[in-house]
Amino acid sequence: MKATLEAINQMQAAGVIGNYAIGGAVGATFYIAPAATVDLDVFVTLPSARGGLLVTLSPIYEFLKARGGEVQDEYIVLGGWPVQFLLPANALEEEAVNQAISTEVDGVPTRVMSAEHLVTIALNTGRAKDHSRIQQFLEQGAVDRGKLQEVVERHSLSAKWRQFEQRFLGGSQ
Amino acid sequence: MSKPKLQARMAALSFSEKIKILEKLRDREKAIAASGLRTKQPKKPTQ
Repeated sequence: MKATLEAINQMQAAGVIGNYAIGGAVGATFYIAPAATVDLDVFVTLPSARGGLLVTLSPIYEFLKARGGEVQDEYIVLGGWPVQFLLPANALEEEAVNQAISTEVDGVPTRVMSAEHLVTIALNTGRAKDHSRIQQFLEQGAVDRGKLQEVVERHSLSAKWRQFEQRFLGGSQ
Repeated sequence: MSKPKLQARMAALSFSEKIKILEKLRDREKAIAASGLRTKQPKKPTQ
């Protein structure tokens, strides 16, 4: 992972990407007990992204391929980790990247989405594994419920949260 | 050790330590996938 994050940081320093934040299962691992995953989800903003222009991940792939990255389907393998680069698909994901938390892995600086954003994104995505992850955050007390409600409300996901509560928490939380 | 206690202990590890565990889990997943152990077996006819 160290080599993976170093490559991403180099790409950021070179101006290929703007901000980035780790999301998905690896991001969740920052807060809760580790659970098996085979890939790394990295949400990125592009410095050249402008309204109306076609946004492409090609510069990322070109930069990393030139430095030993190997493209496999939607992933690029860096330091043994298949990495999926994702552009924020909505205001929630954009906010998650902008408000990510700075940390380190073996001395390499990196950024991870906040627990509240990871949970809200999982709620919005809504697959079985996302619901399971939300439950893990709640069971392990890894999320600030007040902040979570703020994020959920800000992104108009209150109805979805109520459905989740009724289905998985007995509607009593 | 109970599951909640084990989870709490794992959650309290540093991110670097957790990443090392993730890497071990990932390698195990890869080994299982490569072994073909997860290949779907044909269903046995019901009695």
